[in-house]
Amino acid sequence: MTRLNGKTAVITGGATGIGLAAAKRFIAEGAFVFIFGRRQEALDAAMAELGPNARAVKGSVADEADLDRLYAAAKAERGTLDIVFANAGVGSQLKLGEITAKHIDETFDTNVKGTIFTVQKALPLMGKGGSVILTGSSAGTTGAPGFTAYSASKAAVRNLARTWAEDLKGTGIRVNVLSPGATATELAKEALGEEGQKAYGAMTPLQRMADPAEIAAAAAFLASSDSSFMTASEVAVDGGLAQL
Amino acid sequence: MKKLEGKIAVITGGSSGIGLATAKRFVEEGAHVVITGRREKELKEAAAFITRNVTTVVGNVSRLEDLDRLYAVVKEKHGHIDILFANAGAGTVAPLAVATEAHFDQTFDVNVKGLFFTVQKALPLFNDGGSIILNSSVSNVLGLPGFSAYAASKAAVRNFARAWTLELKDRKIRVNVMSPGAIDTPALATTTGLTAEQAEQAVAQFTTQIPMGRRGMPEEIAAAVAFLASDESSYITGMDLAVDGGMAQV
Repeated sequence: MTRLNGKTAVITGGATGIGLAAAKRFIAEGAFVFIFGRRQEALDAAMAELGPNARAVKGSVADEADLDRLYAAAKAERGTLDIVFANAGVGSQLKLGEITAKHIDETFDTNVKGTIFTVQKALPLMGKGGSVILTGSSAGTTGAPGFTAYSASKAAVRNLARTWAEDLKGTGIRVNVLSPGATATELAKEALGEEGQKAYGAMTPLQRMADPAEIAAAAAFLASSDSSFMTASEVAVDGGLAQL
Repeated sequence: MKKLEGKIAVITGGSSGIGLATAKRFVEEGAHVVITGRREKELKEAAAFITRNVTTVVGNVSRLEDLDRLYAVVKEKHGHIDILFANAGAGTVAPLAVATEAHFDQTFDVNVKGLFFTVQKALPLFNDGGSIILNSSVSNVLGLPGFSAYAASKAAVRNFARAWTLELKDRKIRVNVMSPGAIDTPALATTTGLTAEQAEQAVAQFTTQIPMGRRGMPEEIAAAVAFLASDESSYITGMDLAVDGGMAQV
């Protein structure tokens, strides 16, 4: 399977979880991948798994200078970019009544502002046939206790794709949203424990949490020409959680 | 990699347009397909175009006895079903003020009742873990003058997927909706009742409403249906996948 042969991809939040699973999948389909993340240790561990067709750049999507370094590295080695998976995100919970300005700022700086500049700064390297994928969330269309900032930020991300499909008209660059539900990343498994994973799984019609590879498969679909007539769409990979 | 190696797929409305392109794609991905359509000549031509691993059954999805015949053939030939693409649909143009009862009944008989029984009658043959894809339309969330019966019927289809996702979850059968936008198929010219000039105007009007600035090709819908049919979408169920160049998304 070589749908992404010769393509160059950037994946933010690419050192762990969904981002790392997508990096593996993109490389397996023939792509060259730049992963971007904040922790050197996680980047190093990811690189050991990803092999020769990957590069790591350390940085935060909330920092424009870091993003500039990311794209300078991509330009220097590959010249152009075909796929941007704007996947970096944060999410902590605070109930209404306890919300602080700092909590809102941290959430929106990464999830919304970070996504906007991740894509804006990638555009000079992209052209016809390019695919931008934004990581939304089933939280973007549902309510859950304590998720004020996270849910609102992911609803914002979903809506970015609408405007950008119009802004990118005529460029041949597509932009779509990938909205995972409860996904059993290493981090989530650690945080939830066995019981917690069962409880999250039980909320979905499929009765289980997602494997990160299942989210990565949908990302590969959106990255490839198999989704060539899709733009501004949302693909919910959530076991039906927010679909019924 | 062949995503559908050895799978048995049934596609209604498989003799032209989206259904035919999907049948061809499924076979390329390793599946055996059984396609239905109302016109024998077109079905035979479709089978010749697909070239291999295809069986044809003439029939109309709004006639329950035709569906029984379809599944009898599937049972005899393959014994089971892994994938169902309930794709047959009808849509003639009729403004509210002049639409007839026959227009309404025909639209709902094919798009709603026909699809309902297409799925129901497939269930005894369905393998646990299979995939059902219902063909709706982005008109399920849009208003299009003259298409009110069609749009309402397609909204009904979208909602079937919600209940069926739950009803079939214990069998691990996933149910999803495909919602194409404006696609370059023969249907606009041949089945809507529009004149050639009207069809051309409709295309021009659609195109201005599509962020991608063009209509889609049947093969582009087929690629997305193949995704929903395969294990690539193993954590996707109950979803409506819009493949519309952004038409109904912005």
